[in-house]
This record gives sequence, structure tokens and C-alpha cells, in this order.
Amino acid sequence: MEYGVKQEQEWLWVGLPEELDHFQAEQIREAVREKMQEAYIKYVVFDFEHTRLMDSSGIGLIAGRYREMAVRGGQVYVSHVSDSMKKVLTLSGLYRIVLPWEETITATESK
Amino acid sequence: MGNTNEMLVEFDAIGENEGFARVVVAAFASGLNPTLEELGDVKVAVSEAVTNGIIHGYGGQPGKIRIRAWKEGQTLTVQVEDRGKGIPDIEKAMEPMFTTKPEEERSGMGFSFMEAFTDDLQVESRVGEGTRVTMVKKMGEQNGSDNRTN
Repeated sequence: MEYGVKQEQEWLWVGLPEELDHFQAEQIREAVREKMQEAYIKYVVFDFEHTRLMDSSGIGLIAGRYREMAVRGGQVYVSHVSDSMKKVLTLSGLYRIVLPWEETITATESK
Repeated sequence: MGNTNEMLVEFDAIGENEGFARVVVAAFASGLNPTLEELGDVKVAVSEAVTNGIIHGYGGQPGKIRIRAWKEGQTLTVQVEDRGKGIPDIEKAMEPMFTTKPEEERSGMGFSFMEAFTDDLQVESRVGEGTRVTMVKKMGEQNGSDNRTN
């Protein structure tokens, strides 16, 4: 997915940039906030397809969305996570609360 | 002590320059023939330190961040400094998950990340004067090539 935010009913798709730092995280947070005012969002998918670097600001961005979705009984997913990004996500403990998108759709498809 | 190669750069403490800081240190480090992972680690560590200067040191207000880096053998040292408000309790600040800005969704992991991605981390700070973070990382050992200039 290209860089940007896309809303489809209760789903929000967030294409993350190549380098997700504090500067980028703030802009994405604003874009997500705007979409959340337009529609009732319950599920957020963060797409790491183009992401090569992430610092702890990205963790804050994702964790913040998790808190918001959890309150609504929703969920946050991460997709196209490269091995190097896995390192940061694991270190931060985010993998304990967000779900890998690829595994989720495989599971539902095999039903 | 062998030959030391040093650089010094100073820039405005604004979000736009976080990327610039990463690139400048990565370019300087590339002379050590680092692996992609080592380079990525250094960039994240620098990103964390610079972000701390911007958000906490200057609280989003104007200020300057200074980065001094030097190479000795295969060891890179990066010092990120601000002349902002300083840290009253360094030990507390470095506790994982501790943040003074939860309302801004700060994860409180900046120092943890810096520690995880470097070999050594030292933090010096004085309230009202500023903060200096010194990170050390040995690089390029995996490649088996010797890039020392002496």
C-alpha cells in the first residue's frame, strides 16, 4: 500500500512511510484523527510495505491506536513487516498486542 | 590512540531535521563499512536522541541540536547535545516506558532503544543547561575487511 490513510467502513488502512520517525508519526496521527472523525473505525491495519526504519515514535503511534481500538472492542494489525522491522516491534513488546495481518487472513481463509 | 576522524554538525531542533541527522551520521559511519543492520541501528539511535532534544530538551520551542561524531578504528562514537532544560532525574528518565509526555503518545522507550542499538550509552545532563547523550558502536567487523586508515 502506498503512503497514506484509507478508510473502508470500520477499517482504516495506514500505509507507513519509508522512515517512521517522530516527525512522520505526528503527521500520520493527524491524518488518522481526521478519518476517525469522519467514520467509526474499529480496525486499523498499519502497512509496513515501504518502511525501512522505525524508531520509538512509531511505537507510540501504533500503541495509541491500539488503545483507542481496544476500547471499542476492535483490533490493530501490522502487515508486510520486514525482518528488520520485526526487531523493533519485538523489542517494544508491540507484538503482544497487535496482530500480524498476513497470519490473520490466512487463518480466516482456511476456515 | 590511532587516527581520529571527527565531524561536527549543528541544526535547528525541528522535526524536519530528524531525517537529516540520521542521514548525516549514516554517511559518516559508512566509511567503516558497516552492515546494513549496523547502519540501521545507528540511525534509530540517532533518531531517538535527536527527537528527545526536540521534544523534551526544547519542548518543541526553537533551539539547536549539535551532533559530534568520531571514528577510531572500527568504533563510532556519536554525541547528541542540546542546550535545553535538562533532565532532573536521569535514572528515572532512562527507565523503560517512563515518559513525561504520555499525552503526546510518547512510548517512553527512547533510551531503551538507544541502549539496545548501541554498545554503550552515557547520558549527562544539567537542569537548565542541557543534555548530552554519548553512544558508542563498533561497526563493520562482520565484513572481515580492515578499513582503518593507520
